[in-house]
Amino acid sequence: MPGADKEADLTERIEAFLADLKRGGCGTGPIRGSGETARETTALLRKVTAQARWSSAGDLMEIIRKEGRRMTAAQPSETTVGNMVLRVLKIIREEYARSRGSSEETDQQESLHKLLTSGGLSDENFRQHYVHLKANVIEAINELLTELEGTTDNIAMQALEHIHSNEVIMTVGRSRTVEAFLKDAARKRKFHVIVAECAPFCQGHEMATNLSKASIETTVIADAAIFAVMSRVNKVIIGTQTVLANGGLRAVNGTHTVALAARHHSTPLIVCAPMFKLSPQVVITTVVRNRIILSKVNVHCPVFDYVPPELITLFISNIGGNAPSYIYRLMSELYHPEDHDL
Amino acid sequence: MDKDELVEYFRTQVRQDPEVPSAVAAIRTLLEFLKRDQTGETILGLRENLTQTIRRLEEADSSVAVSSGGELFLRFISLTSLEHPDLSQCKKVMVERGELFLKKISLSRSKVAKLCHTFIKDGAKILTHSSSRVVLKVLESAAADKKRFTVYVTESQPDSAGRQMADKLQNLNIPVTVVLDAAVGYIMEKVDLVIVGAEGVVESGGIINKIGTYQLAVCSKAHNKPFYVVAESFKFVRLYPLNQQDVPERFKYKADTLKAVEDLAEEHPMIDYTPPSLITLLFTDLGVLTPSAVSDELIKLYL
Repeated sequence: MPGADKEADLTERIEAFLADLKRGGCGTGPIRGSGETARETTALLRKVTAQARWSSAGDLMEIIRKEGRRMTAAQPSETTVGNMVLRVLKIIREEYARSRGSSEETDQQESLHKLLTSGGLSDENFRQHYVHLKANVIEAINELLTELEGTTDNIAMQALEHIHSNEVIMTVGRSRTVEAFLKDAARKRKFHVIVAECAPFCQGHEMATNLSKASIETTVIADAAIFAVMSRVNKVIIGTQTVLANGGLRAVNGTHTVALAARHHSTPLIVCAPMFKLSPQVVITTVVRNRIILSKVNVHCPVFDYVPPELITLFISNIGGNAPSYIYRLMSELYHPEDHDL
Repeated sequence: MDKDELVEYFRTQVRQDPEVPSAVAAIRTLLEFLKRDQTGETILGLRENLTQTIRRLEEADSSVAVSSGGELFLRFISLTSLEHPDLSQCKKVMVERGELFLKKISLSRSKVAKLCHTFIKDGAKILTHSSSRVVLKVLESAAADKKRFTVYVTESQPDSAGRQMADKLQNLNIPVTVVLDAAVGYIMEKVDLVIVGAEGVVESGGIINKIGTYQLAVCSKAHNKPFYVVAESFKFVRLYPLNQQDVPERFKYKADTLKAVEDLAEEHPMIDYTPPSLITLLFTDLGVLTPSAVSDELIKLYL
């Protein structure tokens, strides 16, 4: 039966994705960049919406939540998966409200204003069936996918405003977003880049090679030299794995060092992060990889650093530049507060 | 309902249920006044009566919370009267919505506790200031979640409220130590985080709380310890103090002191202002907010 085949195909796709996620976490960093993970997750969720059996928005949200929980459990450190699930849930809520024809969903957040003026305790249970809901949701997810595909270009387009001629820019490790950002500026400006190698995986080396292929003058330094070199640096531009709800970062280890050195020298710290990296979490659990290099020594090697929001000057995302104190506002536009704990 | 009856009703509310926040008691009193009021014929008249009533309540209890509760209620009246210009219809809707509002905010302490207790990790050492019912609720839910932690409470003179807090915590089987107000700097290196309540949250995202809170905040900033504030959303007040002197005198001293004493310069203030730069996060029933998000909330309500 064609229906059962499609379902089997869907479960197979999901299983393959989960296995990929589980593998991607160990070794020299993720096999795929987070942008790809975000696109794959969204494409999978679109498939689930199209093929799974559901009759009301409430059912669909339950199915998506269930799949979302499985996916986040496979690789808890890859937060983009969870973020995309939350985006899709918000899309479903919005399309449902639009189908009902209600205009009051412009502000779904709890606020003092809502507390005072709302007519009754809202028990929205999303049980109503609407014929066009499926098509609308799939169309909205397609829009989301288009947005995801354009994020790196949107960020790179803003490069010329921030990088000036003969500047010395420092970066840490390897970030595809920062790479595109710097390459775009290099088309019109001449500047110098210093890359901290970011031991023990030394992804900075790959970054330096790629940048020099684009004819950018690049220097690689050891992590220990970050503070010493910082006095010569005009700007620090970094990528990140996740942006937390309070404006802080969860970035590759070594980033906190760079941020503190930059604060000490009053150097601006710019973070290039697309919107799909924004996570509603505030608390983070440290992820640690242990490598036994000698038989009696245990090497503790945290993979990520927490950078507090006070050390960051500017966030550049696909929707423009923002201060860290504004991140909570962007988050409220992307996700619904009831979905924060999947 | 005349003014003395009103104050008596307010005082009874507080006496009967010592757990009730003073802003909620004030709003209940105002709602009662609304129900019993027969004299008002226009909405403007009603508002004037209410403003006078609120002033009378503030004379009875000078805390910031009563003032914020009163202003919230006035705002509530304005918003409702915009939708229903007819007085009797308006009154009916107001009473309904008022009851609903009271029901919702009775749940706010539990919402705050649910948000905050995840930030308390196993083995944490917490420092708190004076006696706050919201902080107590947070620590209660953390203890119910089988977390092990110890608490240091400042004694908080001049009324030694910290000792009452310590007793309540001991009843919950939480290990607690009372420290002198002057020992805050001494103890700060041992603690992991600081959690305080607030009597009022001002527009800048700072807080007004029992005297000694500002000291605590400065010390925790110097030691790089997170400083968390737990407060319900009805405590948001439309003040913007720039320093300690900017806080209005009517909040600084107890109601009896204000009436009895001529020269307030001789009196010890009961509250101080903590600027938003020293606060890490605010836990409210509207969610976990950074101090910059507070003014956003107030703008959404009042403008």
